[in-house]
Amino acid sequence: MRKPKHMKHLVHLFLLPALVFYVGFMMVPIVSALMNSFFSWKGLLRDQFIGLENFIRLFTESPHKETFNRALGHNVIFFLVLVPAKLMVAYLLALLINSRIKGKEWFKTIFFMPKLLSVIVVGYLFSLILNPSYGVLNTALRAIGLEEWARPWLGHPDTALYTIILVDSWYEFGFAVLIFLVGLQSISREVYEAAKIDRATGLTLLLRITVPLSMPSIMIMTILTFISSFESFELIYAMQGTSGGPYYSTDVLALYFYRLMFSTAGGGEAIGLGSALAVILLVMIATATAVSMYFFRRKAVDY
Amino acid sequence: MKTKKAYGLVVAMLAIVLVLGACGGNNNDGNANGNASGNGNANGGNAEVAEGSGEDVTLTLYSWRPEDAEGYATIISEFEAQNPGIKVDFQPYKSSEYNTILNNALLSGSGVDLLQLRPYDAATALADADYLTAVGDLPGIDQLDEQYLNAAKGSDGEVYGVPFMLNNAVIFYNKTMFEENGIEVPQTYEAFVAVCEQLQELGIVPVAQSGKAGYLLSMTHAVLGESAFGSNEFVDAVVAGEAKFTDEAFVNSVQRMKDLEPFFPNDFIAIEDKDAQMMFYNQEAAMYINGSHRLETFKANDLQFDVDFFTGFAPEEGGQSHIVTWVDGSFAVAKTSKHQEEALKFLEFVASDSFGKLFSETLTRVSPVPGVEPADPLLARMKSLSVDNAVPYLILAHFNQGAPASKVAFEDALQGLYLDYLDAAQVAQELQDSVDKWFTPQS
Repeated sequence: MRKPKHMKHLVHLFLLPALVFYVGFMMVPIVSALMNSFFSWKGLLRDQFIGLENFIRLFTESPHKETFNRALGHNVIFFLVLVPAKLMVAYLLALLINSRIKGKEWFKTIFFMPKLLSVIVVGYLFSLILNPSYGVLNTALRAIGLEEWARPWLGHPDTALYTIILVDSWYEFGFAVLIFLVGLQSISREVYEAAKIDRATGLTLLLRITVPLSMPSIMIMTILTFISSFESFELIYAMQGTSGGPYYSTDVLALYFYRLMFSTAGGGEAIGLGSALAVILLVMIATATAVSMYFFRRKAVDY
Repeated sequence: MKTKKAYGLVVAMLAIVLVLGACGGNNNDGNANGNASGNGNANGGNAEVAEGSGEDVTLTLYSWRPEDAEGYATIISEFEAQNPGIKVDFQPYKSSEYNTILNNALLSGSGVDLLQLRPYDAATALADADYLTAVGDLPGIDQLDEQYLNAAKGSDGEVYGVPFMLNNAVIFYNKTMFEENGIEVPQTYEAFVAVCEQLQELGIVPVAQSGKAGYLLSMTHAVLGESAFGSNEFVDAVVAGEAKFTDEAFVNSVQRMKDLEPFFPNDFIAIEDKDAQMMFYNQEAAMYINGSHRLETFKANDLQFDVDFFTGFAPEEGGQSHIVTWVDGSFAVAKTSKHQEEALKFLEFVASDSFGKLFSETLTRVSPVPGVEPADPLLARMKSLSVDNAVPYLILAHFNQGAPASKVAFEDALQGLYLDYLDAAQVAQELQDSVDKWFTPQS
């Protein structure tokens, strides 16, 4: 009797390798970022313990305060635009594919294809397409007589951020289609049949059955989109470089973090400030995710 | 039972965190020790090296110029011939990743003996972090101009590197096009504007400028603006804290940038440097402002016309013009290197005529070693101009500190200028505000 019980505990040992990696590559950096954020820095060397001063400076001192607020605003815009541009479009497409449409698999593959490319490739590709002088988009617009629509999409503060968000939703929406499809396919046919017996049709079926029952997948995608909006970095970096130009119009928190940590030539206090910003980002994302999960859970429906 | 198991798991996790944390702590301690023993080496290193001098010593050299690997093979074989028993292993990294890789190597105190040192404030940061061996007493270093040595000094005023690579920002122009259209090289700003207008009438973009990457804007400002703010006089005054960027002279230099906007390509804030280069190569544009290192790029692109250059402007007809000159890199010795004596031998070589000549010939760059004449006629002219009439790339050489760096703040503000968010006075104000955060005047 005793031996098997003993063996049972031994099973936990098999978690060790994964745990070591998790702790080594996730927990240690997080804890060290937290530690670093409480210190002042002399170039690359940790100097003195200064408590919360790095955080206070980020929120109160110019130009950090302005840059932080502006970048945070852009993160919020990122999320708010991605919800209709990526999620709603993806959901509608998933509905279409889920209905008895021909070539289902084919569409699924096509939609998912962009995601197979690396972000850097996508960024480079679109900076070619959007190039103001020889880019395909402006050339096409001029060719069909819409000359006044041709503009430096990435070169003007009014359009740059939205252009990047649209590229991002093009890149990401295939994944959302897949997740939504799984959700839709898991809804039992019986529920629809029962509803149809009660003479429910079209819109009622959609709003009363399809949407509520695919809530788990909607929740997952919304949260993932939220996280990716607040972590967005690669695409902007690939298309606009580290400064979030032109004139900060595409600056986001992760880019600002990168600039503080890695691209200040003389160093100074940048590592402390950068670590503080990283901690703020982590706390923000974790809190928002926890809160939204709580609300989504409460709304969960089961028939 | 279940809770007990969960409890066990939590304890196990905590234990691992603690163990790893302790490892991390040890590492830090290790670093501190490493630094300390590194210091010890610097003092007692000679004895150690003398013992092992019978064997070959291999020095690892970190560089941010992978494209120069072939050239350095030639240079290093010359060094090895002059210094039997010392081998140099050239290890280049991508320029954009170099700083991070180098910092890590220096922090861990292993792997690197010799390194290419970024100029000015970046060099100061590494010197102040106690990663570099002071080289002020190195034989031959005294023949280098003091203003070049400034690129490799720590806050303590000591020299920590041997400058080996100069750069000049100039206005390249299509000589064939200028001659065909009877256009004369402008001496003053007013003449330059007239040339631009003339080119524009011919349907040619006067200056292939791009503004997507901010550094190109500050480089162009360094060339076009220096005569407006009063060249070296203003540079000395602002470094000494006697002048401010908000002074009228500097604001005028920024205003000049705005005034020249019609002579840059449409939407130039959106175009990248390679697009601007293309315009110059395809003869859609007549001039292109950049560093002397672009001569190599021109060669590689096999241009169908003659290229020549002119410098910044003379304040008035017949007056003295200046050439923007700065140090692009130095060589330094890592303090943790176990082969201090051999590494310093290499630096001695870098300060010598034979390195200067080889470097200048094999890599088509300007060497700061006096008397070394570049083979390329344009480079030779740049070098002779910069001996007597150099003006520093002010923002790069003296105002590249802070978080964010004042140089970057200025470049971003220049973008704002062209997008009509800021006027010239506000650009100058943003720069001054950024500088005020960290700058202490130097006497």
